[in-house]
Amino acid sequence: MNRKNTVAIVLAAAAVCIGLNAQAQDAAAGKAVFAQCASCHTTDGSPLVGPSLQGIAGRASGSFGGFRYSRALKSANITWDDAHLDAFIANPQTVVPGNVMPFSGIADAKQRTNLIAYLKTLK
Amino acid sequence: MKKLESRTVVIIGGGLTAGLVSRQLTAQGIDVLVLERGGDHTKGAEAKLPTQRDELRWDTHQGLAQDYGVQTYTLRYTSKESALPVRWMEAFLPGEGLGGAANHWNGHTWRWSEYDPQLRTHHEQRYGKKAIPADMPLQDWGVTYKEMEPYHHLFEKLFGIAGKAGNINGQIQPGGNPFEAPRRDDFPLKPLEITEAGIVFKGAAEKLGYKPFPTPAANASAPYTNPDGQKLGQCQYCGHCERFICEAQAKASPEVLLYPMLKQRKGFEARLNCHVLGINYDSKAKRVTGVHYVDLLTGTEYEQPAEVVMLGAFTMTNSKLLLTSRIGKPYDAASNTGVVGKNFCYQINSGVTLFMKDRWFNPFFATGSTQMYMDEYNNDNFDHSGLGFFGGGGINCSMFKGRPIGSRNVPPGTPNWGTAWKKANADWYVHSMAMGIQGSCYPHRENYLSLDPTYTDAYGQPLIRMTFDWRDNEQKMARFVAGKLSEVAHAAGADIVGPAAPRAAPFDIRQYQSTHITGGTPMGTDPRTSVVSPHLQHWDAHNLFVVGASVYPHNSGYNPTGPLSALALRLGDDMVKYVQHPQML
Repeated sequence: MNRKNTVAIVLAAAAVCIGLNAQAQDAAAGKAVFAQCASCHTTDGSPLVGPSLQGIAGRASGSFGGFRYSRALKSANITWDDAHLDAFIANPQTVVPGNVMPFSGIADAKQRTNLIAYLKTLK
Repeated sequence: MKKLESRTVVIIGGGLTAGLVSRQLTAQGIDVLVLERGGDHTKGAEAKLPTQRDELRWDTHQGLAQDYGVQTYTLRYTSKESALPVRWMEAFLPGEGLGGAANHWNGHTWRWSEYDPQLRTHHEQRYGKKAIPADMPLQDWGVTYKEMEPYHHLFEKLFGIAGKAGNINGQIQPGGNPFEAPRRDDFPLKPLEITEAGIVFKGAAEKLGYKPFPTPAANASAPYTNPDGQKLGQCQYCGHCERFICEAQAKASPEVLLYPMLKQRKGFEARLNCHVLGINYDSKAKRVTGVHYVDLLTGTEYEQPAEVVMLGAFTMTNSKLLLTSRIGKPYDAASNTGVVGKNFCYQINSGVTLFMKDRWFNPFFATGSTQMYMDEYNNDNFDHSGLGFFGGGGINCSMFKGRPIGSRNVPPGTPNWGTAWKKANADWYVHSMAMGIQGSCYPHRENYLSLDPTYTDAYGQPLIRMTFDWRDNEQKMARFVAGKLSEVAHAAGADIVGPAAPRAAPFDIRQYQSTHITGGTPMGTDPRTSVVSPHLQHWDAHNLFVVGASVYPHNSGYNPTGPLSALALRLGDDMVKYVQHPQML
């Protein structure tokens, strides 16, 4: 299976999960999940180890100013919509192989949904 | 030499102890300058993917350790020999750069045995006044575990230690270490996942009636925010802790939890690439007046006056700077007088490898501290009557890496090269595990540090000379505990069990053993046998403080970081008092 197909299947699976959980999105619960991200990502636009996640929802991949992205993310050409965020958070290396975020992902779909709801509040 | 403006507190060495002491001082608004010979690693290749995983660069070539082309040590086994310089050190790894050796540590964070700070008194009470050999200068620290406990507690909260309590206020807790010194509560984070090797060890140890438990770890088992608001990410079990900087912010280190916060505080400055050449000492007034250093980027030498100086460099350097600056009487083994350089200790570690063809150990899933431990034969946890030695070792199973260059476990009898060697690697890489002993090392009159009369470093200063070997006490102990290790190994039901070989003399610097060298500036209550007081204040200069593993009068069967961190936090509070009222504490 080539990479494009893998991504498509992951995204399709993610879309199903999001559909199921659409009613149960909880940004407050997502803020608690965000603790897993907070040692590297800020929510206020300031840089830390990773790019800030302020305004991440709808942002083009690899576009946070001043951050030195991996080649993989620079050329990923993704818009961080719900489906891509969900698939990426579930397994970052499947969606953008070779990215250098040292995080293996969040397996729990509900946690991801809540986290995405929280990320959308970061404007 | 250009003279700079005086500072309140100047700290030599920007490692773990400097960070902890600075935290206490700057919280009270006290001005602190840290002088660090290395640079800042935080944004470098060593701290991010994919370069962080370069085993050749950071591990084999020791990219984070001291540059031995600039400064090394000499070694001899006895006072009668001439020492020779160590051209390349494998035995232990002094750090360089802000964060020091705590950048590349594995994260094992112990409280030592409750009796460790009273080791001499403890042995005299249990075995009689005459039991301690004349050539073993055991001494009490002048501080009790009870006095250190609040600072252990604080350090574990600051560094988000993951573990399972074994003794809460005297109540033994199932699953923890029954020999643990009493603590007030459980660890801030739950223990790390137990590896497959840990499960095998636990089963074998329990079969023999022992009580194995997970080692307290500074590798975060979950995301963590400490009382200062500093954050740790969750450990990803990548197996690159020791010799590496954690790129996931999951290994509690001063460059993650202390220095970023300190840099925001008023009155704190870390001056990098500054190599301290000496402490300026007024022997008549019995005071230090500051330090002098060379800026390594410009080659300019500076005098930095200070009201108070703290020596918090690597163990060897603490002794060296006192000796080259002529502060305190150098230890003389022949006459058994003097203090600087005495009670130099290390750790005597042994191991055994097990091969189990049906178990998948997957050694690459690991953290620095994924280790199970048992304390039944550690230190004085067992009766030494009639054994002819003191001390002991923690028997453990540490699965902390499966890296391609360094992880080569092959059964005994395998050739060292060729087709058979390659096949053995392929057959056993995921099916082998190791058990080991981390052994105590008690001081010996003939184990000490002094200045080398012949060899100098790149700055023209004498090298520190180690006079060190494994003496009878440690070798006897290693043989005894290795026998116990062998029993545990054979209880595991492995297909092949290697020999549980006890480490023996001569001391071999070509093998990594641990970075746990201790002593040289021992603490104590008697100025004739100690360099610093129980408050870590120099007996011959009350505005000079020394902290780190160099103040331990002996080494325990545990990693040294816990107590020295507790001592550093306590020292920070003591130095606040000293700055307000300068006097002997």
